[in-house]
Amino acid sequence: MSDSKGSDKSKKNKKKKEKEPDITFFHPELLEIPEDGSPAYLKGYKCKKCGQIDFPKLTPCPSCWGTEFEVVKLSRKGKLYSVTDIYIGQPGMKTPYMFGYIDLPENLRIFAQMEGEIGSFKCDEEVELTTGPIRINMDGLPVTSYKFMKPSV
Amino acid sequence: MKMQREVFIAGVGETVFGKHNVDYDVLGRRAAFQALQASNIDRPDMVQTAYVGNGTNGMGAAQRVFRDLGMCGKLAIIRVESACSAGAMAVYSAIKDVTTGVADISIGVGCENHTMHRATGTAFAMGMDDVEGMQGAVMTGKYALRANRYMHETGATIEDLAMITVKNRKHAANNPHAWFKGDISVEAIVNSRMIAYPLTLQQCCGISDGAGAVIVCSKEMVKKLGIEKPVKVAGAVVQSGPYHNRPRDITGDDITEASAQQLYEESGIGPEEVDIVELHDAFTIAELLYYECLGMCKKGEGLKYLRDGQSTYGGQCVFSPRGGMLSYGHPIGASGAAQIAANVKQLRGECEGYQVDPIPKVALSHVTGGGLGGTEHAACTMHMLTKGW
Repeated sequence: MSDSKGSDKSKKNKKKKEKEPDITFFHPELLEIPEDGSPAYLKGYKCKKCGQIDFPKLTPCPSCWGTEFEVVKLSRKGKLYSVTDIYIGQPGMKTPYMFGYIDLPENLRIFAQMEGEIGSFKCDEEVELTTGPIRINMDGLPVTSYKFMKPSV
Repeated sequence: MKMQREVFIAGVGETVFGKHNVDYDVLGRRAAFQALQASNIDRPDMVQTAYVGNGTNGMGAAQRVFRDLGMCGKLAIIRVESACSAGAMAVYSAIKDVTTGVADISIGVGCENHTMHRATGTAFAMGMDDVEGMQGAVMTGKYALRANRYMHETGATIEDLAMITVKNRKHAANNPHAWFKGDISVEAIVNSRMIAYPLTLQQCCGISDGAGAVIVCSKEMVKKLGIEKPVKVAGAVVQSGPYHNRPRDITGDDITEASAQQLYEESGIGPEEVDIVELHDAFTIAELLYYECLGMCKKGEGLKYLRDGQSTYGGQCVFSPRGGMLSYGHPIGASGAAQIAANVKQLRGECEGYQVDPIPKVALSHVTGGGLGGTEHAACTMHMLTKGW
């Protein structure tokens, strides 16, 4: 191996090692925001073998070990099972923020941040899917994902 | 686990819990040395296997604990990890070695130093590869969700939750190993800084450092060592948390309920026979829910059990007689082993100033670990101990 070739290689490697930008969307496998402006939806994964629907996607299907799935649109509205206001949060996250468990008609429970006024949510109220920033990424940019809010209508 | 031969605890050790300026290995070694000496073990080649529970203190942690004791090179030293359940899991592993005959003497140590390594003002969280972690989940918040639902369903108030802290700190008042102890009012607890509604600072375990150690051995070895008050291991259970992504009741705790059921069946000892319990009271709500999960009272009657004084001196069963995690703080790898050490001392009547009276004959410990998305806890470890002399 010649020296010049070696140094070329190391240059290339260096370029590759440059920091890749952190994600600004969480996560294409979980959430779809259609380009045509129609409402966003969460993606359930229906096992083609046994029909079980999971969110998030589990591979293989823990019920039958099936490995093929069909994406289904999950309901946009659900019932808030429980909720809390966080005053001491994860490192780097601005407080206060809120999260809760949302039960969907598909017999799924979603853990998500709430969008709205701190302290304004109650157990068992109806909530609706929305999208918005859930945290700031390593590059200082907001990460968009699913959240829930009081129903718009 | 199914016991194949009887296992006894020969001796235990625990450090003072709080902020330490020495690392986990020094703390672990102090507790281990205490336990070794309490077991009449006087040389480094007598213990045959060792387990160390530690959550966060880096690689190769287990062997470092035993270095100065001259034990490295003489036995297998294995680290076990299950977040908050690690220390109890280390003791479980030692018990497993003795009951199966792999060893006649084994040691389980739990040790952790958080305060030298952690930024203050942040909460324990799941990894970023976890969907809940990405959404900002923290352990305080997951317990707060349980608390809010419990309050919604039962009408319990923050003041009710605060009574757990009042009780446990009172139990710890004269315990030299406890960090936060003595009188505190409901008002002071409720008005302390909000962490995750409805959990205020004084309803959360402190982030502390410490260690506990437990020597387990066979019946023959109890005699050889000349142990006057051997404590019998009547049962030991480790469970993994079932995965859920469907609606479920979080005012219960499936993994605790399943582990308790298994422990009662395997030990042949029911909840009504248990005199003292050290449990995972990392947050006030947890102890309240676990009265029910452990079958100490009926579902929905946890609050009544507390209000009636059933979980303190003179009640049906004294919960957190050492003061629990609400008094010790919770160095995650250490707590499970320290709970067992405290229970052994209670059974032996060695807890001057905080001894339960009459001296208990049956002691239970319970500690969960981890909070993977979709489980309440990744692991649960429980031990049933009885007077063995």
